[in-house]
Amino acid sequence: MRLLSLLLLVLVLLAPWQAARAQDVEPRDGAIIESVDLSGLSRDSLSPGLRRELETLTGEPLNRERLMEIAARIEGEQPDVVAAVRYVARPDGQARVIFLVARISDDDSLVENINTRYIVESVEIQGIPDADISRSLRDRLQALVGKRLDHDEADELKRLLEAERPGYTVERRISRGSERGRIRVVFEFSEKEGTRWIPFTPSRSKFVYHSEQGWSGALDIPMGGRSHRVTAGFMFSNNDDLVEEYSGVRVAFESRKLATDRLGARIEIARFNDTWREPTLFALAADPAIPEAYRTRLTIEPSVTFAPTPYVRVTGGVSLSELESLMHPPDSQNANAVVTRIDYDQRWYGSRDVTQRVEASYELRTSAEALESDLSYTRHLASLRYRYSQRHNTVIANLAFGGISGNAPLFERFTLGDSTTLRGWNKFDIAPAGGDRVFNSSLEYRYRFVGAFLDAGSVWNNNGEMRFRLSSGFGLQGDNGFLTLAFPLNAEDLNVTFTMGVRF
Amino acid sequence: MIPAGRRGWSLVRPWSLALVVTLIAMTSPVDAQTLTVRAVADALHVRASGLGFISGPVLDRLQDGRSVRVDFDLIVLEKPNGAVVSRAQQSFNLSFDLWEQRFAVTRIGPMPRSISHLTARAAEDWCLDNVTVPVASLGRTGRDTPFWVRVEYRIPERSANAPAEDSTFTLHTLIDVLSRRREDENKAKSVEAGPFRLGN
Repeated sequence: MRLLSLLLLVLVLLAPWQAARAQDVEPRDGAIIESVDLSGLSRDSLSPGLRRELETLTGEPLNRERLMEIAARIEGEQPDVVAAVRYVARPDGQARVIFLVARISDDDSLVENINTRYIVESVEIQGIPDADISRSLRDRLQALVGKRLDHDEADELKRLLEAERPGYTVERRISRGSERGRIRVVFEFSEKEGTRWIPFTPSRSKFVYHSEQGWSGALDIPMGGRSHRVTAGFMFSNNDDLVEEYSGVRVAFESRKLATDRLGARIEIARFNDTWREPTLFALAADPAIPEAYRTRLTIEPSVTFAPTPYVRVTGGVSLSELESLMHPPDSQNANAVVTRIDYDQRWYGSRDVTQRVEASYELRTSAEALESDLSYTRHLASLRYRYSQRHNTVIANLAFGGISGNAPLFERFTLGDSTTLRGWNKFDIAPAGGDRVFNSSLEYRYRFVGAFLDAGSVWNNNGEMRFRLSSGFGLQGDNGFLTLAFPLNAEDLNVTFTMGVRF
Repeated sequence: MIPAGRRGWSLVRPWSLALVVTLIAMTSPVDAQTLTVRAVADALHVRASGLGFISGPVLDRLQDGRSVRVDFDLIVLEKPNGAVVSRAQQSFNLSFDLWEQRFAVTRIGPMPRSISHLTARAAEDWCLDNVTVPVASLGRTGRDTPFWVRVEYRIPERSANAPAEDSTFTLHTLIDVLSRRREDENKAKSVEAGPFRLGN
């Protein structure tokens, strides 16, 4: 703020002239120029032509446009300075002209942005109605008008605006005002997906190949606006996440703003045709305690979500499934459960491009007599995910625990050994009918798109043996695509698994 | 007998091929990313044509009245991708004077220097001219043995706009990501050239 100090100093020096006037008003256009001063720069630094121009001003009528042009010429000849014109009315009706010159690098705000030498003509809010901002903040915004743009103050206001509207990112833009030397300041709001109180359900779209399990496909097509949307989903022989291989369609209606950003609702209706691998059917035949396989699965899942903070969400709903028997059609069973879920999701943006994200969740699904469920069960699943990124380096750690008691349907049973868990193992070898206990962890490092990982976990039945399995692998790894080779580390024989695919 | 059309095609084809090859050679990206070095007052200065970073989204941002920081890295190498002989890093702050329609640049650091009223090209050149390596730091390299020079610039992503490393991609966000490619290309670039000798 040295320029400001310089300005104040000049004003102090000019005090005697100012004191001599009854009112501190600027001279009128056409007033005779009594003298011309150049402050902050030696006249010798200027070209002879410009020096002559300054000298000839004395005795001439005051012409502000001409004086502004001369200031611009001073800046043109001396590119590391800014020049402003100050007019002082003299008691005899004449005018004194002072060219105030300061070096850009002496002024922090000019170093930051050359436009801060201009006077703020107006401050506008775009992207949301003005009324959505508190009165006190609006007053502070309007207080910027008529002064040079104070970067610190504007940044503070930007921070306060973002604090008042946490679902938005605020950008500060400036543009030319209606007359020379004036600028308009615009605070532009745009909704930030990552900081919405309630995010939409993540897309499940993927096309994945697993050398032991073949192709799996899922395609979600979301349609709608920022608060409400409909997703049409299609599954193509998807065997990558459950014991069953399923194809079919689903439709989900979501709203993440029901009167308030903190309340959302969702309903999904899905109908899938199921096929089963031989190992799964053998395993089911060998263990009659596991509920039977089904030919089709019709599921309806309504839920409501409340977000007490932008990082925590609590969801409650029900999952109603009708499972048509594979062996005795058209007999069917109902697997109806109350679903409760808590999610925590927070990101931190640090210096040197460091980004961290922690996601944690706990889900409880429990069947209820009131829902007329034929299968009685309770299912717990807790998971934790941490991600650290710095420029091209990324570390991802995952941890999950789960347990089921009672007779859970097959789609609720846990599996490991696919394209995302215990990579290198085949789930149809580990637990072809899934398990009612699970522990899974993984650690992954990526440099750009090249990555290596170490997976560890176990899936087992409560009354069976728990075997801890390890695997490792490497390959091309990105958020939207992968091509990896993975190896079980504690298997009897070395079996390389190749996986590739896209997720989007 | 050869049909007239066929004979005409066989006569024209070598010329067409030569023309196409020439056009491809003229328009290929060999273009413009060339480096020249010179020693001025015990400092090694570099000039790079075609480094142009004031374009696309960076230019849009500047013309919106916002400022842009650019980090430069000047590296002297023993050989292509070889050991680092000397290195200089310097950051600059750019802004665009909305009323003068010219660029202003400030060298950030303990001894800031600023300049204004520059065209985009002149602003880029001024930045690069203010990233220098002391000739003394090169030792014998340059006089007895040739050296290579790499110039890198990077425009740091603002935290607020950092892409969410999210697994929640939809078709819409995928399109967004794909269309952002050109923008990313603008945010960092590296040019390497050589061999140079100080006498050059």
